[in-house]
Amino acid sequence: MNILVCIKQVPDMEGRFEPNEAGSWFDEVGLAWRMNEYDAFAVEEAVRLKERLGGEARVTALCVGPARVVETLRKALSMGCDDAVHIDDPEAPERDPWQIASMIVGFAAGRGFELVFTGMQSEDRSSAQVGLLVAERLGVTCATGITAFEWRDGAITVEREIEGGRSCTLRLKAPALLTCQQGLNSPRYPTLPNIMKSKRAKLTVLTPESVGLEPPKASSGNFRPHERNAAGVILDGDAVTLAAQVLEILETRTAVLGKGGVR
Amino acid sequence: MGATREIYWNTGHGAVVVMYLVALVAVGAMALGFRRRRDIWRRGKPLDRVDHPLRRLSRLLADTLSQSKVARVPEGGVPHSIFFWAFLLLFAGTLLVMAQVDLLTPLFNVNLLSGDFYRLYSLTLDLAGLLALVALGVLAARRFVIRPPGLERTPGDAAVHLLLLAILVTGFIVEGFRMAATELRDNPGLALWSPVGYLFAELFAAMSDQAQRAAHRALWLAHMLLALGFIAIIPWTKLRHIATTSGNSFFEPNKPKGTLPPVDLDDESAERFGASAVGDLFWKDLFDADACTKCGRCQERCPAWLTGKPLSPMKVIADIGDVAEKENGKPLIEAVSRDALWSCTTCGACEEICPASIEHVGKIIEMRRSLVLMAGEFPGDEARRACDAIEINGNPFGLARSSRGDWAKGLPVSVADGKSETEILYFTGCYASFDPRNRKVAESFIKICAAAGVTVAVLGKAERCCGEPARKLGNEYLYRMVAESNIAAICASGARRIVTACPHCFNTLARDYRELGLDLPVEHHSTFIRRLVGEGRLKLNPAAFSATYHDSCYLARYRDIAEAPRVVLEAAGGRLAEMEWAGSEGFCCGAGGGRILAEERMGTPIVDERLRMARKTGASTLVAACPFCLSMFEDGLKRSDAHQSLKAFDLAEVVVRSLENP
Repeated sequence: MNILVCIKQVPDMEGRFEPNEAGSWFDEVGLAWRMNEYDAFAVEEAVRLKERLGGEARVTALCVGPARVVETLRKALSMGCDDAVHIDDPEAPERDPWQIASMIVGFAAGRGFELVFTGMQSEDRSSAQVGLLVAERLGVTCATGITAFEWRDGAITVEREIEGGRSCTLRLKAPALLTCQQGLNSPRYPTLPNIMKSKRAKLTVLTPESVGLEPPKASSGNFRPHERNAAGVILDGDAVTLAAQVLEILETRTAVLGKGGVR
Repeated sequence: MGATREIYWNTGHGAVVVMYLVALVAVGAMALGFRRRRDIWRRGKPLDRVDHPLRRLSRLLADTLSQSKVARVPEGGVPHSIFFWAFLLLFAGTLLVMAQVDLLTPLFNVNLLSGDFYRLYSLTLDLAGLLALVALGVLAARRFVIRPPGLERTPGDAAVHLLLLAILVTGFIVEGFRMAATELRDNPGLALWSPVGYLFAELFAAMSDQAQRAAHRALWLAHMLLALGFIAIIPWTKLRHIATTSGNSFFEPNKPKGTLPPVDLDDESAERFGASAVGDLFWKDLFDADACTKCGRCQERCPAWLTGKPLSPMKVIADIGDVAEKENGKPLIEAVSRDALWSCTTCGACEEICPASIEHVGKIIEMRRSLVLMAGEFPGDEARRACDAIEINGNPFGLARSSRGDWAKGLPVSVADGKSETEILYFTGCYASFDPRNRKVAESFIKICAAAGVTVAVLGKAERCCGEPARKLGNEYLYRMVAESNIAAICASGARRIVTACPHCFNTLARDYRELGLDLPVEHHSTFIRRLVGEGRLKLNPAAFSATYHDSCYLARYRDIAEAPRVVLEAAGGRLAEMEWAGSEGFCCGAGGGRILAEERMGTPIVDERLRMARKTGASTLVAACPFCLSMFEDGLKRSDAHQSLKAFDLAEVVVRSLENP
């Protein structure tokens, strides 16, 4: 059984984001890079399934992006993926979801992946479209934002979180694409032997053209960093002073203690 | 009348032959026992602990003969020392008898045991026997009546005490019968040189000569069998510590304190890291288990044990010994237990006080390495996330790598560029870079340098966590990743001297980075400031305040730096009141061993115990010289009512206060 995991490398969200020269996206200088958190859930779930199934399953990790994403692919290998495919695309950060999906589909189509796991969305672009588009264009069933997953001979049961803390259970049949949400699992810390193995592993490198890169449907107008509202206030002191300060702020700067404010 | 006696009087020549035969059997049993033990030690990996043999031998002799390690804790230690010296004298006296009869008399026709020497010999051995009896009584009373916590009472312990008692008492009785039948009648003057034997002789004086002789012969035989039995059972009982504990003085590491066993990360064929089985440990680790006498001193000083956590350093060693002995028992880590392993703060109080030179911490780290490197296990999810954050952002908080040098904005500090030359490179560390409380320490240190005219550079965003907490959690791979990055940055910076205010960074850069090729002088700010004060570069204008000083384990215990911070503190006006555990016997704040990255879920917070000791001094200021300690204190004080009366500061902060005083 072949399982595909689509992962993305994203900047650590604590970094300082400044617009690039063109103003179309953020400047990468000074940013630290890591695997998109939701994709780490996808890798973990795929590897867990593989471990449950034993020798018959094989997990392929796929990442679209510039040369730096090799680190993230190796991370996926060290977590237990068997193969890594790098679609080497320096333009990837600024491509729209349709283009990214087109490349993934170009690779995946015809390779018989029974299951595709990916993150619900990326932490940087947050379009939450790539998974859906890939499912649609591969013509497979799709469930988004899963928080639990069960596999029984091609029959899949997933939990999904819906608005307001409610959740539901879905049953679907493979082949399917699942996008993963927080709560699904706790991704493992790679073991050292696996890290060493991942460093020696050969990656499959493909060009965007070879996997059918298509023209974009949307283009990025501009990028604006976080616009700060009023700066946060950090209060200091013991409980009594803190309480007095909070009260003063509530009284002077908000209306929550105003007359008639009680609902 | 001359002062001598007939050796082997009344025993007959046959008995002496029997004695030598039994001695042969006893020594054989001892040799066999030690061979069995050696087979167990050999289950561990090879390790060279015989380099500089003369240095090792003199350490063995000094430690053993002086009993200095065991006597460091007077209760138990002093009676043990007295018993040891007394028993050693008795043993030497017995050997002298054998040598006299079978070497000196037949070969050289010399009688050493006569005249004044014999008088002195008799008196010494008699008093030694008495002292041994008294010391044994005190030891037995302590173990079986007073029962201090941590000291076990097994049937084996009782048997050993009884055996020693029997050897001593039969010795005196044999002497008593001999003297009753000989000296008491023929040479009463000489009898007085054996005062205890004299008392026993008086007891038996009324018996007939025949009865005295019969009783003497029987008890001589019993005494001989007991004494040789003692030799035979040494390796088979806790008595083996006579060889293994002193042996451990020989096998002590010759490396700087805190040096961890290396992990070969470049060996591509390596499939096992850390210790998950006895065979992954070194032979010395298994030898340590045999050197342990279960005296309980480590346990009684272990901050984890004293605050209700399931870690007893003594039990860790005993568990390793059990697993080594039973080949198909529980797996090593199950036997020791994960909770015990993760509870260790690596403070080293156990090793510091251990009279048997046992290395507890290295074993715990080796087992942690197995958990982290082979199974991806951590003491908690927060510790795993902190390691991820160190890997990605270079700090355990997960804050932006690029903002690492932001604290220094507006301060007289340059970011090292490899060209400009400053007097020192200040390795800031994660806490002083990001933690708001410890940033004040960094600012204070810079102010001190400015006042003393010391130019300072920092690595800024090129600096990463030194890797110490991750390494102590067992994450050697992450440690190496950040260490190599830091070493490259330091080398590129053009630095000639490094100063850090963090004892963890200090130990890591000064000792561990050296193994990886960093070769620069590294200093802790406490000794650096002391020098500035001593050289007159830093002028202090102190106003008196009451203070107590908390020794960071990684300064006082690992680096013997206890005096310098106190000198600085006093120069800054601190009137020092010491806590009950101070200096090399200081009590951990709870943050060492990577515990700073993990929640303290079991027992009570270690820092609360330390704050209780600090409050007891009545001082208004608690001075630390470590960002981990300071963070723990601030957290602990916030939780308690004491933060009104007790305030925690770093040494640099109190120095700055005395700079600013008019």
